[in-house]
Amino acid sequence: MREVFTLAVSAVLLAGFYAAMAYGLGLIYGVLRIVNLAHGGIIMAAAYLTWQLFERFGVDPYIAIPVALVVFFALGAGIYLGLVRFLPRGPAGAVQSLLLLFGVWLIIRNVAYLLFTGNEQAIHTSYATRSVTVFGSSFSVTRILVFAIAVVALLLLHLLLTRTYLGKAIRAVAQNPDSCTLAGIDVERVRIFTFGLGTALAGLAGVLASTLFAFNPSFGAAELLKSFVIIVLGGLGSIVGIALGACVLAFAEVFSIYVVPPYLTSAVGFVLLVVVLVLRPGGLFGQRVLR
Amino acid sequence: MLEVRDLEAGYGDAQALFGISLSVNAGELVTLVGANGAGKTTTLRAIAGICRPAHGSLLFEGKPLNAVPAHHRAALGIALVPEGRELWPQLTVLENLELGAFERGARSRRTQSLEKVFELFPVLKERAKQLAGSMSGGEQQMVAIGRALMSRPRLLMMDEPSLGLAPVMVTHMFAIIRRLHAEGLTILLVEQNLSRALEIADRGYVIETGKVSLTGTAEELLTNPAVRTAYLGI
Repeated sequence: MREVFTLAVSAVLLAGFYAAMAYGLGLIYGVLRIVNLAHGGIIMAAAYLTWQLFERFGVDPYIAIPVALVVFFALGAGIYLGLVRFLPRGPAGAVQSLLLLFGVWLIIRNVAYLLFTGNEQAIHTSYATRSVTVFGSSFSVTRILVFAIAVVALLLLHLLLTRTYLGKAIRAVAQNPDSCTLAGIDVERVRIFTFGLGTALAGLAGVLASTLFAFNPSFGAAELLKSFVIIVLGGLGSIVGIALGACVLAFAEVFSIYVVPPYLTSAVGFVLLVVVLVLRPGGLFGQRVLR
Repeated sequence: MLEVRDLEAGYGDAQALFGISLSVNAGELVTLVGANGAGKTTTLRAIAGICRPAHGSLLFEGKPLNAVPAHHRAALGIALVPEGRELWPQLTVLENLELGAFERGARSRRTQSLEKVFELFPVLKERAKQLAGSMSGGEQQMVAIGRALMSRPRLLMMDEPSLGLAPVMVTHMFAIIRRLHAEGLTILLVEQNLSRALEIADRGYVIETGKVSLTGTAEELLTNPAVRTAYLGI
């Protein structure tokens, strides 16, 4: 019973991180109909940025979050303005966008190999090994912090999308861009902002990941695929859907230890993805539009 | 107020307009009528800016429009209620209306605009929290008109506002258009329901294959034998 409790709490903590990680991918897909294949590369780059700030300047990883948000927002807006903007609109651009952003990922990865070699890195903060005990089960402080930050980030994002004019414009562009133009909304600026915001969220996920896992320049591939699993599970772009999708994936992975050996844990998500795509192609909760 | 000269436009290789010229004076209700595919919708889309004209000039209140980006035209006072309504279906009625007042000037007066829209369409006030996509066709048309009014337009263009509506709703829509016109709003109306459009309009243009084939006051067009045989089936 205690073990089930421990695993359930671990799954919830993991789900928070997963949701924050997937949101950027879902947001960009919802508004631009583009799968940002560079997502994993951004997560990795943000982990390295955090590591550099920590090693060189002694900046605590969680203090580095605002820096990462600004840097990766700018990078995302730059990628949009310099590259993505020139893709053909609609289904015609789908393949090109995959190739283009995969190329961006390769560049980011190889720059990281060049700068930091392929060695595994990890951030050892003074509190990294501390844990708290709840009902006799102990949980690492880092995991709890990551969960709390992820939840705050998702709440802020939800407020942005539902309470502000800009957020409503983002959702409106996802649903009908021409009507936005008629209402006086500069659709192109909304797209730049959205790509920047989605990239900044990937950056946040990278900062959080750097405190949980060791990483090297290939880091991010599994994160991209898991993000993809979550947005497919949860339907694209709705915050509730993403949270539920993240929970399904996290619980399936964590509790799979009862059924499959631990080294197969990462395969669980993809089996889930295939099953859902076959049985419920609209996602588990069937909400495809950003709302 | 609006002056369109020799407008040519199209989509890709398919040219839809072959030199349309028309004008709308302040306070007028002008209607464009004609068969499907004649170019009425394209004309409105070109004036609103979401379709780029290949040739010809657009003047709004004496100023050239061609170089003005589409998303700046709402601020000038041009609004379009598009064919098929084109709402944001997963946003609430209220959010649809609020976004109609996105542009700065309109946003500062959105409370009054909202009151005005709710006064015109009381049902929208009751349904404010409902998703726009879950409303009936007539109610969606009200949201579309309300959204356009939220931008406080000086020229309101409407593309087939009665299309697909129940007869009682069609009557209601025409009453609303007549009322907006009576309150002094300048309106450019595209309608397939030619007799009802001409009933409330001041002037009309008959469009055929991308050109103006006939123009005159509403009475002239209603009594014109060619119009009567071609469009009214009399």
